[in-house]
Amino acid sequence: MTISLLHYMLIPLFSALLIPFVARRRGRLAEIFASVTLLAGLISIGGTLLNPAVLASGFSALGEDGFSLLMIFTVYLVGLCVAFFSASYGEGRGVNTTYFYPLLLVSVSAMCGAVTSTDFFTLFIFVEVLAVASFALMTSDDSKEGLEGAVKYYLLTFPASAAIMLGLAVMLLSAGTFSFDSIRIIIYSGASAPALVFSLSLMLLGFLVKSGVVPFHVWTPDSYQGSYAPVSAFLAGIVTKISGVYAVVRIAMFLRLFETGAFRLSEVLMFLGMVSIAVGAIAAMKQDDFKRMLAFSSISQVGYIVLAAGLATPLAFIGAIFHLFNHATFKTVLFLNSASLEKAAGTRDMNKLGGMEHPMPWTSWTSVIAMLSTAGVPPLSGFWSKIIIIIALWDAGAVTYAVLALLFSALTLGYFVVMQRRIFFGKKSAAAETAAEVSPALLAPAVLMSAVIVAAGLLFPYFFSYLAETIASRMVL
Amino acid sequence: MDLVTTMKTAVFAPLLGAFLIPVAARISAPARNLLAVTLGLVTFLAAASLLPRALDGQVAAYTLAFPLGFDLTFSADMLAVFMAAVSSFVSAVILIYSVDYISHYENQTEYYTMVLLFLGSMMGLVFSMNLVWMYVFWELTGFASWRLVGFFRKDTDVQKANKTIMVTVFGALCMLAGILMIYFANGTMDLRHLRGETVSTLAAVLIMAGILSKSATLPFSTWLPDAGVAPSTVTSLLHAAVLVKIGVYAYARIFGVTVVVSEGFYYGVLVIAGLSALISAGAAMIEKDIKRIIAYSTVSQIGFIFLGLAAGGKTAFIGGLLYIMMHSVAKGGLFLCAGIVEQKTHTKDITKMGGLFRAMPVTAVSFALCSLSVMGIPPFGGFFSKFLVFRGAAETGSLFVLAVFLVGAVMTLLYLIRLFYLVFLGEEKEGAPREGSVTMVASVAFLALLGLALGAFVHYPANYAEILTSQIGAIE
Repeated sequence: MTISLLHYMLIPLFSALLIPFVARRRGRLAEIFASVTLLAGLISIGGTLLNPAVLASGFSALGEDGFSLLMIFTVYLVGLCVAFFSASYGEGRGVNTTYFYPLLLVSVSAMCGAVTSTDFFTLFIFVEVLAVASFALMTSDDSKEGLEGAVKYYLLTFPASAAIMLGLAVMLLSAGTFSFDSIRIIIYSGASAPALVFSLSLMLLGFLVKSGVVPFHVWTPDSYQGSYAPVSAFLAGIVTKISGVYAVVRIAMFLRLFETGAFRLSEVLMFLGMVSIAVGAIAAMKQDDFKRMLAFSSISQVGYIVLAAGLATPLAFIGAIFHLFNHATFKTVLFLNSASLEKAAGTRDMNKLGGMEHPMPWTSWTSVIAMLSTAGVPPLSGFWSKIIIIIALWDAGAVTYAVLALLFSALTLGYFVVMQRRIFFGKKSAAAETAAEVSPALLAPAVLMSAVIVAAGLLFPYFFSYLAETIASRMVL
Repeated sequence: MDLVTTMKTAVFAPLLGAFLIPVAARISAPARNLLAVTLGLVTFLAAASLLPRALDGQVAAYTLAFPLGFDLTFSADMLAVFMAAVSSFVSAVILIYSVDYISHYENQTEYYTMVLLFLGSMMGLVFSMNLVWMYVFWELTGFASWRLVGFFRKDTDVQKANKTIMVTVFGALCMLAGILMIYFANGTMDLRHLRGETVSTLAAVLIMAGILSKSATLPFSTWLPDAGVAPSTVTSLLHAAVLVKIGVYAYARIFGVTVVVSEGFYYGVLVIAGLSALISAGAAMIEKDIKRIIAYSTVSQIGFIFLGLAAGGKTAFIGGLLYIMMHSVAKGGLFLCAGIVEQKTHTKDITKMGGLFRAMPVTAVSFALCSLSVMGIPPFGGFFSKFLVFRGAAETGSLFVLAVFLVGAVMTLLYLIRLFYLVFLGEEKEGAPREGSVTMVASVAFLALLGLALGAFVHYPANYAEILTSQIGAIE
């Protein structure tokens, strides 16, 4: 654990423990308590990252791992949006706030633990804590689908945990340590390389399942679609990204240190990333359910991150991490908007929607921003992360992958413009006649996130220098 | 104002001002319209005031550092200023015309926002000296055109809008691949550093795919006639002021004055442009929808512009540049006339029109004047641009260009006469429409007379284009 960042993990945990007592009589207090905790955390981490002294020094004054810091920021940002959103959304859906908010805070805490851990064992523990909390979160409302999704998630990610555990055992036997730093030194020394590669590949397998990369993606659409709506946003936006993709990127950072052998593993990673991009995008085109379409789009976007992680050059990591952040922002907006839409129109079936821009202009336009960013339309944030990934691929000689990645963003745009036509623009449907825009409290998170998307796009130089300074230049070359 | 501030005004007034439109709409609709028109005029004045200074050889340059060689560099050289002035002028006229034309429809706030965003991205594009930023603004125009073509929200309209964005974005992604090839081969995306460099034919072809898709040239031309479902002001904007001109500008900027490509590439461009010019002229002769006819005419005229720019030699290049200007003014006028006709007769089918000359004389005369300019009849502006391209082609001895040009000019004459005859002459059909509103008619009459004036005073723009060509140095 990085000690200086410990409080980001501990404070939500305490808060989670307090809520059942404080809010026993009044459920509202749970929402307020959780939101305030997350807001305070966000302000604190935002202050660390955007401190004028830090900015002036070009981020070299930041002592901690830049990857962890950025991920903590993202976790709190998404957590706050989801907590705030479900405060107004959950009424009348049988959500027990004294369970829901503590679980949310426990997951935030577990995610902060995972991203600040400095050894594989701690990482694994926190990922498992996160998994348990998310099973419970998925079933928060009184629908049956949530339960189904949770069971699928559990059954399919359980073997993944077993694979990770096995990998940990092999690592302990061969290297005698779990610590990132020690493993790094052992890899440099060249000792017991085959065993280490084997253990890392077992872990990689496990985390790939957890991140929902093709061919391990079967659980993702069902669990995202079935969950309680704000939880879908939480899962798709950040939970599966931390429990899977974050770890994949971390492991990929180790793979590149091996002198030989491990490059095949990297190639597999790149291949799976590319397949995910393709399969996710093509499957998304065929969906009628808005949330299910977003789930497949999520698979496709994770593909970009995995593709870049597999390439494992410093520039590729910058692109991968930037895209991870961007994905959290735009996917949260889209999932939260799908929830608003369901609340206002009573359905997520795109065949029954249309012309929703008239009753719901804010929801409509925040979706447009998020969708354009996902498709990589400049000058929004998604464009920059994608172009960095593509340049990194090209630079390393993987021109075929670069061109394919480029062309698949046309497909992404394709299914999104069709989605816009079927839901927001196009002919007014019966649903659009009766629906009304949701309350400002439900819009605020989407608007905030859209602002982050636009800002991250326009302030791209800051992002880039942050990532280059705190991650790429500190990575042992 | 100093040079850089003026240039920044031209770019950022519409680009950022677009986002003030929804705010102004909260106050009142007239305030919003006034703001939109003002921003359009400010943009034009800023761009126009750069003209004499560019002629004096002053080049403004402004750079905002970005990592990885993505620096945002604006530079107002003669070519950029020329293009900016022409586009912003036509856009300003269209904005004035819009105030009446668009006032009957929904989504007006979005309309004004998008038109200004469109104009702003166009300004950004012409002043950008970095390929990646050209791409950024390129995509922004694609986004704005997507919203504008889908202005009417019927399912077919939105489908056509989606077609527009998909075709242009696909082309743009090909272009991005080409830009990246140049980036890795030459180590820079800054056009000022790329001058005189040779780029690979594949990269050039990829960039060309983007250009052709944006300027609606074969084989990517079908979206432009389809985009005619949009309001006439929008189509006018697309055809005359911004969208298709972006492709032509990018060609002039990248292949005309910056990089050098193999001979075969230029030859390929000539063949594609020639085919595109003739085939779409043929399509214009058989279409029955007034807006589709004018749209095919644009596709055809864009082909001629490419012929001029790619024929090689200074004279033809100057002719190509003048052609951009003359075509903008004349085609803008034609579409705005078509807008009046469509609004008053409630149809776009020319077989159902006829004898409108009596009902709307000013529109008819303006239409005729604009048509004459497009046909290239002296003393209209269009004649001189055509003549220069023709002479340039004759000087360099490219028989192909000469032949295509002659055939194309005859076809242009035929389809425009047919159109004018069917719409304004002939016997009157039932239902007597009235003349359009004063601002609308004044806008088209102004553009029509301007076409004549440009012919009379062709010396000035021709002189400018000549200095431009020798100063920036067109490829020989």
